[in-house]
Amino acid sequence: MSRIGVFVCHCGLNIAKTVRVSELAEFAATLPDVVVAKDYKFMCSTPGQEMIANDIREHRLDRVIVTACSPLMHEQTFRKVLAASGLNQYLLTIVNIREQVSWVTHNIDEGTSKAKALLNGAVNRSRLLMPLTSRVIDVNPDVMVVGAGIAGIQASLELANTGRKVYLVEKNSTIGGHMAQFDKTFPTLDCSACILTPKMDSVLQHKNIQLLTSCEVSEVKGFVGNFDITIRQKARYVDHDKCNACLACTEKCPGKSVSEWDEGLAKRKAIYIPFPQAVPQKPVIDREACTFFKKGKCRLCEKVCEQKAIDFEQQDTFSTVKVGAVIVATGYDLMDTRDLIQYGYGKYPGVYNALEVERLFNSAGPTGGKVILRDGKEPQAIAILHCIGSRDKNSYEHCSRVCCMYSLKFAHLFKEKTSADVYHFYIDIRAAGKGYEEFYNRIIEEDVKFIRGKGARVAKSADEPDRLMVEAEDTITGKFIRLPVDMVVLSPAMIPRSNAKDIARLFNLSTDKQGFFMERHPKLAPLSTMSEGVFIAGVCQSPKDIPDTVAQANGAAAEALTIVVKDKMELEATTVMVNPASCCACQNCVRVCPYGAPFFKEDKGVSEINEALCKGCGLCASVCPTGAIIARHFTNDQVLAEMEGLMEF
Amino acid sequence: MAVSFQQIEEKLKTEARRLLESGQVSLVLAWGRGFDEKHPMPYVAKGASDVDGIVFNEFCTHNLARYLVRYPRGTKMAVAVKAADSRAVVQLIQEDKVKRHDLVILGIPVYGIKNPKTGEIIDGKTTCGLYNPVLYDILIAEEVHGQPVSSPYAVLAEYEAMDQDARFAFWKKELDRCIRCYACRKACPMCYCDPCFIDQNKPKWGEKSPETPGNLMYHLTRFHHLAGRCIDCGECSRACPVDIPLYLFHKKVAKECEEMFGQAAGMSIEDKPVLVNFRMEDSDKILE
Repeated sequence: MSRIGVFVCHCGLNIAKTVRVSELAEFAATLPDVVVAKDYKFMCSTPGQEMIANDIREHRLDRVIVTACSPLMHEQTFRKVLAASGLNQYLLTIVNIREQVSWVTHNIDEGTSKAKALLNGAVNRSRLLMPLTSRVIDVNPDVMVVGAGIAGIQASLELANTGRKVYLVEKNSTIGGHMAQFDKTFPTLDCSACILTPKMDSVLQHKNIQLLTSCEVSEVKGFVGNFDITIRQKARYVDHDKCNACLACTEKCPGKSVSEWDEGLAKRKAIYIPFPQAVPQKPVIDREACTFFKKGKCRLCEKVCEQKAIDFEQQDTFSTVKVGAVIVATGYDLMDTRDLIQYGYGKYPGVYNALEVERLFNSAGPTGGKVILRDGKEPQAIAILHCIGSRDKNSYEHCSRVCCMYSLKFAHLFKEKTSADVYHFYIDIRAAGKGYEEFYNRIIEEDVKFIRGKGARVAKSADEPDRLMVEAEDTITGKFIRLPVDMVVLSPAMIPRSNAKDIARLFNLSTDKQGFFMERHPKLAPLSTMSEGVFIAGVCQSPKDIPDTVAQANGAAAEALTIVVKDKMELEATTVMVNPASCCACQNCVRVCPYGAPFFKEDKGVSEINEALCKGCGLCASVCPTGAIIARHFTNDQVLAEMEGLMEF
Repeated sequence: MAVSFQQIEEKLKTEARRLLESGQVSLVLAWGRGFDEKHPMPYVAKGASDVDGIVFNEFCTHNLARYLVRYPRGTKMAVAVKAADSRAVVQLIQEDKVKRHDLVILGIPVYGIKNPKTGEIIDGKTTCGLYNPVLYDILIAEEVHGQPVSSPYAVLAEYEAMDQDARFAFWKKELDRCIRCYACRKACPMCYCDPCFIDQNKPKWGEKSPETPGNLMYHLTRFHHLAGRCIDCGECSRACPVDIPLYLFHKKVAKECEEMFGQAAGMSIEDKPVLVNFRMEDSDKILE
């Protein structure tokens, strides 16, 4: 015999609008073992909570059912009420009649009837609930940051300054990310390198940051508070402990390849540092371009290296790092605009994408900061085409947010560095941000021409064969425009990194329609993910500019800190156990567990569970053919009883 | 080339004697004489003196992989297998029920095996229809050249022509005849669960008396548990005393599994059990 109390919440009109709440409470009172049933406007309010606490005392309740919103919202609130009243917190059942009922129907009869069915099931299950004890585990105080662009750098510095040890993992040979490629930053036009490189240097100097460049995460085990992360250190073929960065090797190296850093506009050596301010400022060998690796002869770098740092035998190595929390800040790629053949990128040398133009402006870039086209001429007319691939149902529907602003910046820099006419082809200008609208107005005054119409096609000019022709519809005048230019700048969509799916799989993140990492809640938990202890910052979550990225990075650092600042943390008690008498040794549990909790005891011939790793997801219980795995709080008996209750309706 | 059952029997005996005498294995799973010629039965030779009891003839239908999981882990065993039987061994290795290095697989390429009950030749209608074992250590006869032309799923044409309601009515009618003798479960090399879910009492997953709800619960769950694992030997249907065409359901599920994940059960020990293995390239069709 149980003594169950049922508390029905109106959630203002959120629930009461499509569920007859008082009728639901009256119905609850008729169910067996229910000794008290009440409805109230806001059950989560202090009077609501007090009402539950009073009824627990007065009616000597031993089970509590709250029919309200999703347990994601208020399960913790009501568990605390039970705990304060001397009841085990796992004797609470939440019936979600908001997200699962009132918000998905307009019909009050249907709503009420479904709410009754759910409640009937919950009463059946509630009787069978068992008190459970939460586990307390030690928390590893260190943090890992994946990706060392501006987001990763910022988050690492913030965390390291609080005294935490930070492992900063970067797949490239230098940190800095895309921001290090830029020349000026909007809207203030301050030099990107001048504000970024001091931070890069701080990362290198910081005693609490362990910098892991040329590294990738290859495996993630464990869970919040205790991640075991395997890092693959890619072979650099240069021993960075010995190298003193004299760079004699890079001068002598005969191997050549295109510079990723300069977006393919320049060449680099096979042994190289990507750019003069790279951190760490030590070279790596590109195996694909190296003469020795290709032909088996050369080793010039080895001969000139006084430190004997060159090591052609170096192999990839793996190491494991233990951390309590992870920040993923893996950034973005630009869409490959070659697929949009109407814009002629890759076909006409006069068509550039935005990152290439950033390099043209940069004094450390392939042209020394001069705007010179691939054919060596200075452009007389330049068209900047907005929204290439973004805001486009045929490619990516999202707005890349920063293109309007950097396109305005480009216009300014073109005006400053050339005598060319600059034309914008845009759908509309989005300049929402501090100082952004002012910057837009400033550019308008600089004699830049704005044509409201998306660029439709770039073709070879019929009259002047070495010029290009941009076609578009000017939507203000309604006229079709054909504009001869020398240079076309595309502002392509920002899209998730090509390996974002692998990262998502490693860290159990979900991705949105475009492939960006999903936040736990779009408004209230924008930096957390559904994977506890893993946070996201920067463009890997959605396109954003540098100020927003930095703000997010600081936020993610603070969120990670909330976990690692404690030395112990409480975990859910809802783990699984194995009944060895029923285990048929099929090892399905071992195969499906994403956390590596079940393991097979060869001597006993049965599976067992490492409870420290179990997250209680129940995957193993669902694939166990003999029902030998018992998921606490969701036992077969409990679930079947609930289903029977549901099906009575 | 005609298959000589006599020659196969002789070769089986020779190999079994050699393996047992050398101590390489502690037992040999093969076939032995039943109550008459037409009804051979599974036979275990545990010493050289047992070897003479081994027989092989056209009625040796039993899938001996069934008996591998009976012995403690680590037992060195030899097992005689026909084509489909070898797939069962492969599947058991995939599922880590037996270790490859504990086994000596005596592969028998053969065709023309007959159903003792009906005398009909067993072909791709009720089994996978292969002639040659997919995995073996010792080949007992020469490989049969050429593989069957018709697909093992060809027999499904009539079944697939039925709509959803007709299919349910079909299975309800067929499974209603089940007398719950559990011969299908006993014959199946993949049914190694102990206890079987249907024998459990808490929770009681289904009624144990031979009536519609319990019958459906037992068979549908068994079909589900064998999804992606059934190697299509057809032993369940031959063991059934009331001739329920269980192979139809198994074939249908196997076909869907193969189409969805590009992997047939028990074809390679490099494969992983398909329904408990996640690959990035897996089809999402099941979610639609």
